[in-house]
Amino acid sequence: MPESPVFYRLVAEIKIRRESFGGILYKYGCADRGALSFINSPQLIDLLIASQEQHDSNVSAAIASSRYSEASKKKLYVALADLVKRGYMQTLTSVEG
Amino acid sequence: MVELVRFMERPDRSAKKHTVGSVNPLALTAMQQTGSMTPQTKGRGSQRFLQGGLSAPITITWEITAACNIACVHCLSASGRRRPRELKTPEALALVDEFAEMQVFQIHFGGGEPFIYPGIWQVLARCTERNLVMCTSTNGTLITADRAKRLKQFDPLYFQVSLDGGTEHTNDRIRGQGVFKRALRGLELLAAENHSLTVNSVLTRYSFAELDRLYDIAASFGSKLRVTRLRPSGRGQDVWADLHPTQEQYREFTGWLTEHPDVLTADSFFHLNAFGNKLAGLDVCGAATATCCICPEGEVYPCAFFQAPEFEAGNLHERPFKEIWQDSLLFDYYRKMGGGACTGCGQYSTCHGGCPATKWFVHQKLSIKDPECVLQG
Repeated sequence: MPESPVFYRLVAEIKIRRESFGGILYKYGCADRGALSFINSPQLIDLLIASQEQHDSNVSAAIASSRYSEASKKKLYVALADLVKRGYMQTLTSVEG
Repeated sequence: MVELVRFMERPDRSAKKHTVGSVNPLALTAMQQTGSMTPQTKGRGSQRFLQGGLSAPITITWEITAACNIACVHCLSASGRRRPRELKTPEALALVDEFAEMQVFQIHFGGGEPFIYPGIWQVLARCTERNLVMCTSTNGTLITADRAKRLKQFDPLYFQVSLDGGTEHTNDRIRGQGVFKRALRGLELLAAENHSLTVNSVLTRYSFAELDRLYDIAASFGSKLRVTRLRPSGRGQDVWADLHPTQEQYREFTGWLTEHPDVLTADSFFHLNAFGNKLAGLDVCGAATATCCICPEGEVYPCAFFQAPEFEAGNLHERPFKEIWQDSLLFDYYRKMGGGACTGCGQYSTCHGGCPATKWFVHQKLSIKDPECVLQG
């Protein structure tokens, strides 16, 4: 059986803000560990904000609706996988989604 | 915990003029004595992103009233009675709007006891409307079943209920007679409504032996334990020498934290990283860069622990918060401070010299080592 494609979705408790170096991801709550990341990629921050504002936090949909080069997409997916590990994002298969 | 995702090189920041307010000569001298007063472009790790300050705080501690129904011996804001120039509810609501427009993420209400502030319900409602995350530090004694239920309308709202000992004896010698039982009742009422809770405990020489008990108390309410560092500010100055943990206790505490990874620390023990085991959490002081403190009468300080008049960055009765945050002369100097006596220390990259507020309140200097530096004495 072929492997289902993976979709990336921001978890609900995430706030994002642009900064001069890129932006900040903040996973809120009283849990003051694992709550804050500095992202020095404006492109990644723009993508995540677009995901929240226009695609119901579905990052994969935001990527699909944008015109990234293959090289950029590759970099973005590496960063997204890292954000999954840090708890900012979850992955869904098409079956789950 | 601060994480850094490396993806592209960081662009240079544009030079900016800081023109708001003046700097107290004592504060200016103390900051200048720390060394480097020029913008640093090659900071390490998360520190380099915080240099110069963020466009807005991530979290603001807002001590919304000084009024309090109890009188903790270590209260960092020396709370008790309402102060004459406390922000009125319309001013507080306008401030919430300003926070939302600046994209501040979280407001941490403290005091005093926030539930004594007459406009607290309106302020929490406005935060909810403006999508601001709320955390409320409370002594728990004013929580009733009705209030616990009404508070469910605000979201997201988290509670920190203070217990400074795992026993009535230890807690009440610090927080006042009968407070232990009343705080437990508050926790019970909040837990019954499924509020998100932490038990907040200031680590002292006397509560150290009761950490396991505090952990169990928190767990019994479905809550996490959050342990914070005792600071010698406010009434804490009077009792710091007696209450602050010993070096040996701090060493044991570091091991205890490693064994209890779910215990939160408010990121306030990064000075203990110099023991050699980096603790989870923020490893650098976020004062004036990622956070700040607003006091009841509108005073803005670098952080909740640094409520020294010499370090007031501005006052909300005189200027909008955004101006103070972005253009305050004091914050500008504060954000450029060097390592002082810690410059060159092998552990500086892990502890960043500890807590400036503790240095100031103990020795009226910022260029010295943290009075609780684990490498001295």
